[in-house]
Amino acid sequence: MSNATLDGAPIALEDAYQHAARILACAKFPVVAGLGSDAAGVRAAILLAERLRGAYDHLACDDIFADLDVTRSFGMFVTTPNEARVRSDVVLLIGPGLTQHWPALFERLALDRPAYFNKDAPRKLIWLGPKRNEAKIEGIDIETLAATPQNLPFVLGALRARVGGRPINLDGATAKKVESCAQALKAARFGAVVWAAAALDGLTVEMLQGLVTELNATTRFTGTPIGARSGASGAVQVSGWMTGFPPRTGFGRGYPEHDPWRFDARRLVDSGEADAALWISAYDGEAPSWTREDLPLITLAPKGAGAKRGLYIEVGRPGETHDAVELAQETSSFVLRRATAPADTPSVADVIREIGARFSEDVPC
Amino acid sequence: MLTCLRGGHVVDPVNGTDAIGDVFFEDGRIVARPQGRKPDAEFDASGHVVMAGAIDIHSHIAGGSVNTARLLLPEAHRAHKARPVETPLSTAGWSTFQTGRLYAQMGYTTVIEPAISPHHALHAHLELSDIPIIDKGFLTVLGNEDFVLSSLRDNESPNVIVDYIGATLEATRAIGVKCVNAGGVDAFKKNARAFSLDDVVPEYGLTSREIFQRLQRAVVQSGIRHPLHLHMNNLGLPGNVETALATIDASQGLPLHLAHVQFYAYGKEGKNGFSSAAAQFAEKINASPNVTVDVGQVMFADIVTISSDVMKQFNSLPGARPKKGVIFDGDGNGVGVVPYSYRVSDFFNAVQWAAGLELFLLTNDPMRVFFTTDHPNGAPFTTYPEVFALLMSADKRAQWLSRLPEDVVALTNLPSIKREYTIYEIATMTRAAPRKLYGFEDRGSLGAGSVADVAVYKNDERDRAGMFRNASYVFKDGELVVKDGAVTRYTRGKTLRVKPTYDSSINKRLDGYYDKLYGLPRGIFAVDDDALPAPEAFAEVPCRS
Ligand SMILES: [Zn+2]
Repeated sequence: MSNATLDGAPIALEDAYQHAARILACAKFPVVAGLGSDAAGVRAAILLAERLRGAYDHLACDDIFADLDVTRSFGMFVTTPNEARVRSDVVLLIGPGLTQHWPALFERLALDRPAYFNKDAPRKLIWLGPKRNEAKIEGIDIETLAATPQNLPFVLGALRARVGGRPINLDGATAKKVESCAQALKAARFGAVVWAAAALDGLTVEMLQGLVTELNATTRFTGTPIGARSGASGAVQVSGWMTGFPPRTGFGRGYPEHDPWRFDARRLVDSGEADAALWISAYDGEAPSWTREDLPLITLAPKGAGAKRGLYIEVGRPGETHDAVELAQETSSFVLRRATAPADTPSVADVIREIGARFSEDVPC
Repeated sequence: MLTCLRGGHVVDPVNGTDAIGDVFFEDGRIVARPQGRKPDAEFDASGHVVMAGAIDIHSHIAGGSVNTARLLLPEAHRAHKARPVETPLSTAGWSTFQTGRLYAQMGYTTVIEPAISPHHALHAHLELSDIPIIDKGFLTVLGNEDFVLSSLRDNESPNVIVDYIGATLEATRAIGVKCVNAGGVDAFKKNARAFSLDDVVPEYGLTSREIFQRLQRAVVQSGIRHPLHLHMNNLGLPGNVETALATIDASQGLPLHLAHVQFYAYGKEGKNGFSSAAAQFAEKINASPNVTVDVGQVMFADIVTISSDVMKQFNSLPGARPKKGVIFDGDGNGVGVVPYSYRVSDFFNAVQWAAGLELFLLTNDPMRVFFTTDHPNGAPFTTYPEVFALLMSADKRAQWLSRLPEDVVALTNLPSIKREYTIYEIATMTRAAPRKLYGFEDRGSLGAGSVADVAVYKNDERDRAGMFRNASYVFKDGELVVKDGAVTRYTRGKTLRVKPTYDSSINKRLDGYYDKLYGLPRGIFAVDDDALPAPEAFAEVPCRS
């Protein structure tokens, strides 16, 4: 059973689908935004955006581009959580809140014990810029390199300079600490940097990848990124094979064009360039960040996240109410998540199919 | 519905046909000329060449590695034309949708993606499912993971590897086994920067030679008809023809497929220490009937290299054009993605271009030499029509040679080679030979019972490239999908897989191994029906019984 409301008042599901079809079909340039869904939901949403000659965006794009902009301007060294787990003898954790972004981090990478292929040596853990007390974990020895979010890029830059043998301008105690960490990184056999794009900006990610590049001149080092929220990593992949581009892509000219500024849903809505929006946030019902309140809006979100304004259609949570294919943080590959509490609430893909099926009828605008 | 292609020049090497004739098909299959029945649909094929749909045996079209390349290079795949309304995403640059469209327009109806890591199989299947029209399949990359290496090191029964291959191909739904720089990818994780045939993988005490030989035997034993598909050591390096020759010497007289051999056809002569050794290599191939090769022709274009040879890709980073790249140390195996641009004015690139053509022209058996550019590594698959034209015309090659640096021309045999491929040889190389290489029984032929995948080209001796670029008609499973070089109908193709029999008790052992090594249930990496958009769209390729 699903549940739909219009401006907070219940309406029949069939009426909701009709209404949604009318909103989207009548728009000149609709935006399909949020995109918080599983692979099937994202795929359906992108096909819908193309059919409508609209644009699509993901709610975590700012975080996505912290990594992706570095990849496409500079490049990346990456590995899987599996390889980091079984092989990394030195792990450099960077930035605050890592375990908030990935609660299973320590357990998945088995950071409390030596790597499988490195049984005789304990793992060396260094954490640059943890939150207060965050790096104090029972039974795990972590060397911390203190940094506030503001000065983290400078400390990271100093670390990179020392790895490359260049002089740094820091006071005695900090310089000494940076030096010892730099030596530990250089002594790694197969090191891994762990970071969350949500906690760092693009320049910092570029700096850490620059550090990894320099380390690879003499040893092996790589990266273990923590992906952004609401299925962002999977959405980027699906978008990549469907259009060649990540989200923030538009079809206004009849073919996909990618532009992180032009097709930013918040900008499109607030500037008035978009005249309708389909907002998808099936994981947690996050609300859109735009401020404009008068555009026709359809929200697909789970139970309890009902939108007070516009049309709301309840969808199931991927992997909870229905089986879902997602890009898993713990494997960095697509996996099937079996429904943990199966229900007949429609998925995002189901709802988009229903809406799409009603375009063919002559809807008066 | 009975369809007849009337009066075309039918070229079907599997059945020895090279003559004017009619081709009939009904219900998706080729049929013998029916007695006393009038066709329901008839196409005038006079002045046209009629062939089975082409089969590409090695083209990187799907999966996490290809997708990484797309995301790495947003500048490389702009679309230029608005799409016709009825064809979703068909103009999306380098998308899965466009891949199916462009292949179909050239008369290709089956394409094999050659490099999928087992743990990324589901991703590859999701992409393959979004490639319209053509049938497809992939090779699973094995041979650098601890399970294989430690089993070989510990001298376990060869059956362990056979069963592992069976279990892995079942879980990944693949069509065969590829091995990339055997042992070298693991060695790179241990900071080796070079790895040759007799180098030893640290901590396993195995040479690359031993690893590939034992995998080669295991693949034969498994009953999979496609031989081990090997990416050799030392790709791209001056003098690496020695590695290639030594690899063939080590091939035990057993079936072995060597991938993109152009990248191994290099000597060390000349002032740049880099020359074409294609003649020497071709002679060896001619004399080694157990070996098949695909060429991996280079064409002058902006490309991106996508390779599971992580060490090689890492070493290529300084020469990247533009200067960026992704190095992925994956589970066991991995991938590197590095953009590059082949330039006609570049000495090395020009030697590569010439060496590929020499290999095509100096090898004498089109049943054992396959037509590839190793898309996109040597050139995009959209350049195939130009390559066909070069193979079919010595004059055309002479025109191209005149643009090359003079010192390159002096270092290749190309100017003296007058051979021109016939249409029949092209059909052999792109239809009959792939049929045999993958053990297909239902394609690559126009014999009765084959799938009605048929390509019809307007015979144009003056413009072979145009002829092969825009097929006049393409039928997929008997349905007209291309007319006059444009897709007229989008269909869903099948994904081809093998199901070798194996001792399934290996699964229990592997479950325990994954739990111990990764702390994960192995099933998380398996491709389940429930994860697939179209689980019914698979077809099985038979194994040897
Ligand atoms: Zn290849």
